[in-house]
Formats: sequence, structure tokens, C-alpha cells
Amino acid sequence: MNDDSQPRFGKGVKLRREEDGSVMLLVPEGALVLNPTAAAALELVNGKRTFAEIVAEIVEQFEVAPERAGDELRGLFGRLAERGFLR
Amino acid sequence: MSVSAPLMPRPLSLLCELTYRCNLQCPYCYNPIALSAYREELSTDQWCRVLREAAELGVVQAHFSGGEPTLRRDLAALVSAASGAGLYTNLITQGTFLDDALLDRLLESGLDHIQISIQAPEANLADRIAGAVVHEKKVDALRRVRARDVALTLNCVLHRGNHDTISDVIAFAQELGIERLELANVQFYGWAFRNRAGLMPTRDQVARGEEVVAAAQERLRGKMEIAYVLPDYFGEFPKPCMSGWGSEFITVTPNGDALPCPAASAITTLRFENVRIRALAEIWLESESFQRYRGTGWMREPCRACTRRELDWGGCRCQAFLLTGDASATDPACSLSPEHSIVVALRGDNDPIELVARRM
Repeated sequence: MNDDSQPRFGKGVKLRREEDGSVMLLVPEGALVLNPTAAAALELVNGKRTFAEIVAEIVEQFEVAPERAGDELRGLFGRLAERGFLR
Repeated sequence: MSVSAPLMPRPLSLLCELTYRCNLQCPYCYNPIALSAYREELSTDQWCRVLREAAELGVVQAHFSGGEPTLRRDLAALVSAASGAGLYTNLITQGTFLDDALLDRLLESGLDHIQISIQAPEANLADRIAGAVVHEKKVDALRRVRARDVALTLNCVLHRGNHDTISDVIAFAQELGIERLELANVQFYGWAFRNRAGLMPTRDQVARGEEVVAAAQERLRGKMEIAYVLPDYFGEFPKPCMSGWGSEFITVTPNGDALPCPAASAITTLRFENVRIRALAEIWLESESFQRYRGTGWMREPCRACTRRELDWGGCRCQAFLLTGDASATDPACSLSPEHSIVVALRGDNDPIELVARRM
């Protein structure tokens, strides 16, 4: 995942926000429960925003260090991309 | 050693076994042997009610399976009901009836994902296993799905008769542009349990298969996800069946029985409740069958004090029952089970045995 990448969801991948605010990523034959940062970041995924823009948004929303947010989200997005959940 | 009290978890997944009718005769089918006991299928309205009740209970995914679910003429209506209730919808099919018209109707109804199974990577062997000339129809169905904007998983159940073709299955998947491949070793329930001696892969096959799969996973990383389901009788620890009994999964059989595990009807010492008679929420929350092995309180040694008790949940209750006659025993697939020798003795180096074809 580069800073300029514009991630979008893979086929058959859906975000679902529950009434209690928790968020799940529904994927073929499974569901992943997301922590609040991951949920907020994935809710920004729309195929247009760049990875860098998503990180910047999270840094502002959660008041975290840019470097740390970047590393964590790069790891998460990379793992999801490897499984075809993000492209 | 403390033992946690039964939790009251939320079900996430509903497996709708719409019918046990099927035009194939795969000897590895996990459906029960007594298929004719399930001819009285739930109506469209009854399934729609079950789907709504499931969604209210917290379920997020509905899987439509069977038998062959496309033999139900109301399949698109049921997908639509599930989708309308906010559920993610998954069709598990062998694909022989998936023509353009049906496929389009299903996608219009909101189908999110399709899993199509093949028996082997080439027609002769595949058709021999299926007991019908169907492989080419499946290839057509795979192409049709690939041409549309919907998620697709190719599935192949592995057993002694096709275990040596794993690398060809992977090549077949690559040729068709498959992005998700599931290589699932046969699980020994129903017809597969009956045919166990003939289906059990040999130790050599299992060892070679694991190497081939690991190499392909590495080579195809980011291009094709390969999910590998380990063989049941070969591991050190049992599978965490259903992530624990009554923890996340509900199966409803064609006649409306609600089961904590798709294979649970094998446990003849339990009585399962039916969605025609009771609401799904009541069955989930209160029924004896769902409560019986929920959490860890039911466990005996060696599970009770085991550090893995909340990792693998004692393994599979149905397997424990089938192998020992006692559904509350530790799954003999676990190396810590006092009855592990049953499983070790069955590890696949017997002479080939004639398979019994599945029939209604």
C-alpha cells in the first residue's frame, strides 16, 4: 500500500456498523470484528481517497502520532489486500 | 482451576440447508445418511421468517446450502428476504443448474458471494466422483460467474481419490482467474463417515499435499487466496468446531431442525428443536440442545484444565459422539484425548475400499 494508492473494497466485501457502534468487515464466508481505528479508517475507503489522506484523517480524528498511525494502517491494509478484501 | 459459566453469545452465521435433494452422488457428502427423513421441507414463508428472526438475533451472514440449494425454485426469493433483512448472502452450490437466467435473478436479489465446488480438476475423475456427467457444466458456471461482478470461491473437497491432483486444481483455478480457492480435506460425517475407510487420504498424500499448498500460497500471494482445511484425523489438536457449540453458528436443516453444528443430527442422544414450533431466538437462548455444550462448563478432563479449552472448545461434539459414543468426551482428534488411538489407527494406510454413492 503506497501513499498514493486509492484502496477500494474487493468483491463480496462489506462494512457493517451495528447499533452499538461496533463495526464488522463482512467477507466471503466470514466476519472480522474491527477495532475503532481500523473501523474509522475502512469507513473512509471509497476508491478515491488516497492511503495518505486516510491516514491524515485518522491522525486528526484519534489524535495519534502520524508515524504510528501510518505504520499500523499500512500493516492492516496490506493484510486485507493480500486476502483480496482491499484492492 | 476456574471454569467459565455458559456465555450468552450472539449468533453471527446462519446456515440454511434448503434441501437435501441433489443430482450428484458424491460419497464424501456430510449430509445425514437418512436423507428421506428430510423430504418435508420448510416453505418459502417459513424460511423468510427464519431469516428475519436470525437477523433480529444478531446474525450477519446467511449461507444457502443443501443438498443442492438451486433445486429450490424460491432460492432468489430467499436471497432477497435475507438481503432485505440486512444479511450478507452466500450461495454454496455445485453449480450444475447455474445458468444465466438464474444467476442474474440471484444477483438482482442481492447475492453477495458464490461458492462453487468441483470434484477434481478434469472431467473424467470429477464425473466419476460425482456419479454424474457434470464437470463441464460446472466449468461453464464458473465462467459465467467470473464474467459478472460478484465474489466467487472455488471449492474442492480433498480425499484419497483426488488428493494427488491438488497442484492441478490450483492450475485449473489459475486458468479460470479464480481469486479465492478453498481446498478442504473431507470431514467425516454423514455419507463421508460411512465411506471413511475409502476416503481417508494416506499419510504420504497429506504430507505432499501440505507442501504443494504451502508453496502455492507463497507463489500466489496477493493473486489467489488459498484456504486450506486441515485433515481431521492427522493433527495434534482438534479443529475448534463452530468456534464452540452454540457460540456463533446456527444450522437449519431442510425440515426446520435447528442445529448447533451442521453434523449434529448424528448425536442421537440429543433432541433438536424445530423452527416450525419454536422461535429461533428461543431455541438459541433456551433450548437444551444449544445449551448442552455451550462454553466450557460441560467439559471433563483433559479438556477441563487444558490451556487450549477456549481455543479449540474440546473439538467437535459430533466427532466425539461418532468415534466414542459419548458427545461430551474430548474429541479423539486431540492428541491429549485418552481415546486418541482410535484416530491414529485410522490414518489412511489401509487398502482402497469401494465407496457407497450418496442417494436419497
